[in-house]
Amino acid sequence: MRIGLVCPYQWDVPGGVQYHVRDLADTLRGMGHHVEVLTPAEHEESLPARHVTWAGRTVPIPYNGSMASVQFGPVSAARVRRWLREGAFDVVHVHDPAPPSIGLLVCMIATGPIVATFHAATIRSKWLAAWGPVVRPWLERISGRIAVSDFARRVQVEHLGGDAVIIPNGVHVDAFAHGPALPGRARGVDGPTIGFLGRYDEPRKGLPVLLEAMRTVVRHHPGAQLLIAGRGDPDAVHELLGDDLRAHVTLLGTLSEEDKAAFLRSVDVYCAPNLLGESFGIILIEALAAGAPIVASDLDAFASVLEDGAAGVLVRRGDPRELARALVDLLSDPERRAHLSTRGAQVAAGYDWSQIARRILAVYETVVPPGSGAVTAAEYDGPAELRPVPDGETGDAPLRSALRRWVQR
Amino acid sequence: MTPDVWLLLALAAVALVLAAWSLWTVTRLGRLESRVDRAWTALETQLRRRAGLAAELARDHAAAMGEERARRLAAVAREARAPWTRDRELAENALGRELRELPDELPGVPAALRADLEGTWTRIGLARRFYNDAVRDTHALRTRRLPSLLRLHASHPMPRFFDIEDGLHELTGSVGAGRPRS
Repeated sequence: MRIGLVCPYQWDVPGGVQYHVRDLADTLRGMGHHVEVLTPAEHEESLPARHVTWAGRTVPIPYNGSMASVQFGPVSAARVRRWLREGAFDVVHVHDPAPPSIGLLVCMIATGPIVATFHAATIRSKWLAAWGPVVRPWLERISGRIAVSDFARRVQVEHLGGDAVIIPNGVHVDAFAHGPALPGRARGVDGPTIGFLGRYDEPRKGLPVLLEAMRTVVRHHPGAQLLIAGRGDPDAVHELLGDDLRAHVTLLGTLSEEDKAAFLRSVDVYCAPNLLGESFGIILIEALAAGAPIVASDLDAFASVLEDGAAGVLVRRGDPRELARALVDLLSDPERRAHLSTRGAQVAAGYDWSQIARRILAVYETVVPPGSGAVTAAEYDGPAELRPVPDGETGDAPLRSALRRWVQR
Repeated sequence: MTPDVWLLLALAAVALVLAAWSLWTVTRLGRLESRVDRAWTALETQLRRRAGLAAELARDHAAAMGEERARRLAAVAREARAPWTRDRELAENALGRELRELPDELPGVPAALRADLEGTWTRIGLARRFYNDAVRDTHALRTRRLPSLLRLHASHPMPRFFDIEDGLHELTGSVGAGRPRS
């Protein structure tokens, strides 16, 4: 199968959607399919040499306290058109096509089966409520919609119309399951450790709750260590710590992918005390794959990854006492930890990219009618005009082609 | 210029905008119609495939599942392969129920056939959702005030939703790797 993947976010900026597209492309190639990727990037030379096409740069627009990236215009449209023509894909798979990005451009220009995945990680619903009706005419062209989580599906159903099937994010289970631990932190050997990963100066990640709980934990387990990985301002954390905790907390800073896996393989318990909605708990699946027993707050996304508590301990969000109790109990019960570790590995296996890619492939095969032609860019001159078009479509063809000629220039 | 000319000009402008909008909407409706057709073809293909596999199972492996069960399965499979009627959903549900109730162990039945049958479940679930999705988009556009007032596509039949039990909660329910949530 010839598959075209469209990533609307800059390739050389770390982000969940970018990783998703990269890993999906690799896995599908491993299964013998031809995969091309179209993506913007800050630096064209940062893209892999083959099978990834540069679509220009996005324009950052400050929105709601963070940056939304926008890419729209005749130059991008021309790049999209060329990519579609040269690719001759059986199916095109766009990611997060609602914002004005190359994903939306592909929906406007491509004719043929389009699959879309809605991640809904960065879009706010206020924005979507106003924008949804505007882009609906083009999102209507999507034959198969995928949402990565219940949450993403609800956003999609409420604001963009239609329904979506749920296929979660994938994880390379093997990369987390096997490998070395952090030096001097081997699990079960070097004193009990609790892991936390995330932007620690964002209160909604729940670090203050975890620190409060740590005070109780160190009373019961004087050797316990909290390892904090991720970005943030170290001084702010030191202020939160106070003298009693300082000896029990280590800041690891930002970790590379390998170090993150080693970190998850090292900790005796992984803790996700998040207070507010996460669309999808990919980090929990990575921790499960690395065999780390998990204590997490009872967010919907976490509860469904942890199978309502069968594959990890769920605690009421924002409650340091309950969190402390769960951590203390788990640290003093090696059998329970071993059990959760085994169960977690089974759960994680279902999220392995090999499984997820197969499910996505089933979607492709469902929307591609047997014996159909390839996806291409809508034609505006030449023999394609002669193809039979449903009545009505002929009417405004001159208008549209005039527009397209203008877009091409 | 007299007020009359202004009025005429305004009317002409409104008519022009309305015409452009109608053309655009008819294009959208035409596109949606072909999407519904494509989605229905995909769904129909999968349904026929399942009925075919079920018939094969009933014919070639009657001994393995017991004569009584095989006769029932053959009957519902025949029903599901009959030309399309309004009762198609019922026939598909009957076939689905019969297939779900098959025992886990069927000696002598090739694993490939069982795997193919299992596979059609997922495919039908996907195809059905994409079809209903296309139907929903069509309904949403056609039942809006202006398109129905202007009777755009009013001569075309309104596509129907296709609802069968497929027991695939994970496609729309839980995020988990397949376990339906209560």
